[in-house]
Amino acid sequence: MLKRLRENKSAQGTLLASPTLLWMIGLLIIPLILTLIVSFGKRSPDGDVIYSFSLDNYIRLFGYSTDCDAGQTSCFDPLYLQILWRSLTLAFNSTVWVILLAYPLAYFIARAHPKRRNTFLFMVLIPLWTNFVIRVYAWMMLLRTQGVINLILGWIAGLFNLPFTPLEMLYTPGAVLVGMVYEFLPFMILPIYTSLEKIDNSLYEAAADLGANGIKTFLRVTLPLSMPGVVAGTILVFIPVMGTFIVSDILGGRQVILVGNLIQRQFLDARDPTFGSAASLILMVMTLIVTYFYTRKFGFGEEIVVA
Amino acid sequence: MKRKNIMKWLGILMAASLVLTACGGGAEPTAPETTGGGEAKVTSSGFTCPEPSPRMEVTSTELNIFVWTEYFPQDMLDCFELVYGIKLNRDEYSSNEEMYAKLSAGGTAYDLAQPTDYIVPLMIRQGLLHELDHAQLPNLKNIASGWLNLGFDPGNKYSVPYLGGTDAIVVNTDTVENVPQSWADLWKPEYAGKIVSIDDSRAVIGATLLTLGYDVNTIDPAQLEEAKAKLAELVANIKVFDSDSPKTALIAGDVDLGIVWTGEAFIANQENPAFQYIYPTEGPILWQDNFVMLKDAAHADAAYAWLSYMMQGDVFWLTIRDFQYTNPNAAALEYAKTNQPEVYSAYADSPITNPPADVIANGHGIQDVGEATVLYDDIWVEVKGGN
Repeated sequence: MLKRLRENKSAQGTLLASPTLLWMIGLLIIPLILTLIVSFGKRSPDGDVIYSFSLDNYIRLFGYSTDCDAGQTSCFDPLYLQILWRSLTLAFNSTVWVILLAYPLAYFIARAHPKRRNTFLFMVLIPLWTNFVIRVYAWMMLLRTQGVINLILGWIAGLFNLPFTPLEMLYTPGAVLVGMVYEFLPFMILPIYTSLEKIDNSLYEAAADLGANGIKTFLRVTLPLSMPGVVAGTILVFIPVMGTFIVSDILGGRQVILVGNLIQRQFLDARDPTFGSAASLILMVMTLIVTYFYTRKFGFGEEIVVA
Repeated sequence: MKRKNIMKWLGILMAASLVLTACGGGAEPTAPETTGGGEAKVTSSGFTCPEPSPRMEVTSTELNIFVWTEYFPQDMLDCFELVYGIKLNRDEYSSNEEMYAKLSAGGTAYDLAQPTDYIVPLMIRQGLLHELDHAQLPNLKNIASGWLNLGFDPGNKYSVPYLGGTDAIVVNTDTVENVPQSWADLWKPEYAGKIVSIDDSRAVIGATLLTLGYDVNTIDPAQLEEAKAKLAELVANIKVFDSDSPKTALIAGDVDLGIVWTGEAFIANQENPAFQYIYPTEGPILWQDNFVMLKDAAHADAAYAWLSYMMQGDVFWLTIRDFQYTNPNAAALEYAKTNQPEVYSAYADSPITNPPADVIANGHGIQDVGEATVLYDDIWVEVKGGN
């Protein structure tokens, strides 16, 4: 038996993959199928799922009322489409900001003395030792009306005898953006760093020999060669931002509603798991579509493996 | 050789992971063992625990409770563990809807939960609850009669009261010039972006219904539709929804007004007397939180021991000291009056914790609305998602 296994390469592969496979089936595939089944159901007044085959939840998600003859003036209410759109634009904006902040830093680390690189990378990773939620709460302390940032600004204004009214930063969409950018920054720095670090130094020398200045070298050599890192980082940042609800809950004061919040509320506030399931699936499909077109254009970014 | 090393490390990692997982899930009772009397038991804060009276027969070594956030005196929890040697595992929630959703999804191992009055009938209807054995609740006699045998659970077959209170308006009189006197006042444009509200659908929709002159428990879809449009205007004035600790945003100066519970207003007022609790002219919302036993409670004996110990006057007075809500326990009030006069007078003299009779008479209790629950749930999610 063992001997036969030793010779059979494909059986070996199956055996090696089986723990992960079981894990994926049990914790991903089966729950996904259950979610799909529930999403076609209806809720009872007490919040139970009545299993049926109805597309009502999806119709509602796209803004059309299913009981239109109940005397409403308009049957179309784009509430949920607005929430989807808001999440999409926030995820896009966060990703752009993260790239703009992460790229120079990754470049700096990659070009630093090899002895110091590890220290810098270590410093990038240290915040991850603290719980995600606690880090979001820390931003609350910074952003509130009488928080650290306003205190410092007030102090500076005081030095120049300028009038100062504290800035309203907490519980705004801007605060949510700041929180998202902060939380997901390391996931962009690391892949970009990996691809920058791999660039052979002789390429820079060749570029210099051929008369390229600093800007030209960056645009023609560094940037194209580091694109796989940017692509990988984008995937690692964009997808979680689409689904996160903690940041908007805490920094948005539960007033900035994203798809993640919508889903969470359907399960916990509105007791409608059927609509929540439909919204989860739509979120997944939407993310898949965006990622599909993105990766078709830019590739998958092999650094995703390294990161 | 190298490969062997890798295998060795992998083995160590796996073993470590297994050990850590086992520790995380395990329930080793960390509370000291019961010594059966003798020396007094003292909590880490220096509070001497009263002996249980009567001491219940308990074989369980743990108790799992699912309760509201920021609602239990630490000394009360510690003392129960000390006198009974039972490990008390506590999980928290911040809305009835959240609690109900988690329990009805099944798969939980809680013995006791702590629903507000209106959600009790729903839990009974859904068969989530276990009928209480009154023979095992000797200290139920300490609860004042006005808090027992209420409409949501006649005869207290399923529930025993914990604390009660009101939902009303808290105002920072230092920063707000025109102090609102009614729920309707909160709609004024001058309060835009200055309000914190508890994330409690029935309370906030209830207040909105009151401004329209409707009943807080209406099931008329037309009235609710009207309330939804009205509520959308209020939501634009609200800066933040927070049920965990709405007082924080008030005390930190992020907002100047709040729709809050009794205890939050009391603490804000203690922190800064400028915070006044206003009972709106339409009447505040009245509520009562209760302990219920869950259907599959595995530690019923420990649950009865907790309920009995907690309801002792010399234990329950701690809630008057630490979590200032309206207290249903006559023995605890009596105990505080004789032994802790300062704590008692802070409670009894405050119109926040001890509302005047006319306020109570003017108040509105939230009730289960059956089929109309769907309408309330939809209003809440849609209005809050609208901006």
